[in-house]
Amino acid sequence: MLKPEEAQRPYTVTELANEIRRELRPLTAMLVKGEVTGMKQGAGGHYNFSIRDGVSRLDAVLFADDARRVTMLPEDGQVFVFRGRVDFFGKTGRLSFITDQVEFDDVGKLRARLEELKRRLEVEGAFAPGRKRRLPFLPQVVALITSPTGAVIHDLQETIWERYPNMGVVVYPVQVQGAAAPMSVSRALRRCNDEALAQVIVVARGGGSFEELYAFNTEIVARAILGSRLPVVTALGHTSDRTVADMVADVEARTPTEAGSRVVPKKADLVALLRERGRRLDREGNQRVARELERLQTKRARLVQILPAMVRVRVDRLAHAAANLARLSPVQQVTRRQEALRERARRLAAAGAARMTRARNALTSRRAQDRLERALVERFSTEQRRLDHLRQQLVAFSPEAVLARGYSITIDAETGRVVRSAAETAVDRKLRIRLATGRLGARVEQVEP
Amino acid sequence: MSEQLTYEQALEKLDEKLKLLEDGDLSLEDALKAVDDARVYLKVCTERLEAARKKIEIRPEPTE
Repeated sequence: MLKPEEAQRPYTVTELANEIRRELRPLTAMLVKGEVTGMKQGAGGHYNFSIRDGVSRLDAVLFADDARRVTMLPEDGQVFVFRGRVDFFGKTGRLSFITDQVEFDDVGKLRARLEELKRRLEVEGAFAPGRKRRLPFLPQVVALITSPTGAVIHDLQETIWERYPNMGVVVYPVQVQGAAAPMSVSRALRRCNDEALAQVIVVARGGGSFEELYAFNTEIVARAILGSRLPVVTALGHTSDRTVADMVADVEARTPTEAGSRVVPKKADLVALLRERGRRLDREGNQRVARELERLQTKRARLVQILPAMVRVRVDRLAHAAANLARLSPVQQVTRRQEALRERARRLAAAGAARMTRARNALTSRRAQDRLERALVERFSTEQRRLDHLRQQLVAFSPEAVLARGYSITIDAETGRVVRSAAETAVDRKLRIRLATGRLGARVEQVEP
Repeated sequence: MSEQLTYEQALEKLDEKLKLLEDGDLSLEDALKAVDDARVYLKVCTERLEAARKKIEIRPEPTE
């Protein structure tokens, strides 16, 4: 502290002002809560206003650089928690609270307002899946709406080019937080559509607190996304709640990497897929032709098989006809008859020869016959003699011999029967009487039985 | 016919032809025609893959 006894000479005003600033230095990163009043924008893009409570009042300034970063611009009558430091401006002789952050005092109230916005959009059908635009399967250019600096744009580009080395990228640099962010983002969305350099839009930010993401919960950004003709993908980081922008976007990704992989296919996959199709196509084409060739081969083989058989049948038929023809031809008939005659001549000759042989054989056997005849003659003589003897005996016993002794035989001339008894005949019947020599015819005159 | 097709449309047509071929009901003439058509679509697909040109363009906000 400045001590009067050390003040050997008076301070200049500037010296005192510097002294005051030095003394105020500990009052840094202060949080002060109060109501905004007298808000006005200065020429250099900074804002002047007062923060007050019921009793005291503090001048405050929000420099242009900080104004771009703050969640939202304070308006008169609203209560915020301001972060900043206290400084003394020698030029004006005023003490000011240099604000570098503005935070909502009543987040609950803000959330309530957000819920109300969501309800309205819901009723309009802004979140309906049927309303969402389909992402192009293969864009040629991707538009990136994001902060031109930082990891987000880098990650997006990396992902896109890693997946698709010849993909076009157009960047629309915007403020992704701060009071101007909603307007900045919605303007970029409109320009994307107007310029039509790309076929799909990625709106990205590297996450953040509820306050930092405030722009993406504003109606102005939600309307710009809804009004976009080109499909919109959000990638607002993965540390916070879903924003309204996420809900109305056509695709909601968490990280820039995820967004990149949603908007751009992997070229290597597509190349592989086309290669596979090419192979299938070749195979089908070749197989079809091969199958046709095979069918032709089979037909040819069958033809080769069938042809000789067909020829054979016809050859057989011809041969048969030729044979018939030959048989009926006069020359053949004469020949055949000659042949038949020759056959008969052969048989005749054979029969003659056989006959000759037989005769010769008979002649040969006749000599044996002579012997046989001689034996037979002898046998005849012997038998003759025996027979004579027997005849003599027989004669001795015959009726002739009996008759010779004076007996006679009386025979009924009509019946031829021997009359053995007088009773066997009657008067006047004719009789024949056989005597030893000769016969007598007689008539019965008397019967004496 | 193939001039206006996108990659996706050409791929769809290519797959249609492939399916017809793989079903195997086509006559030889139709099959050969299908193979020719499919080759055209395959070429379109390949051309579409190479159509994108790697470039980066920055479109800053116009200053009012």
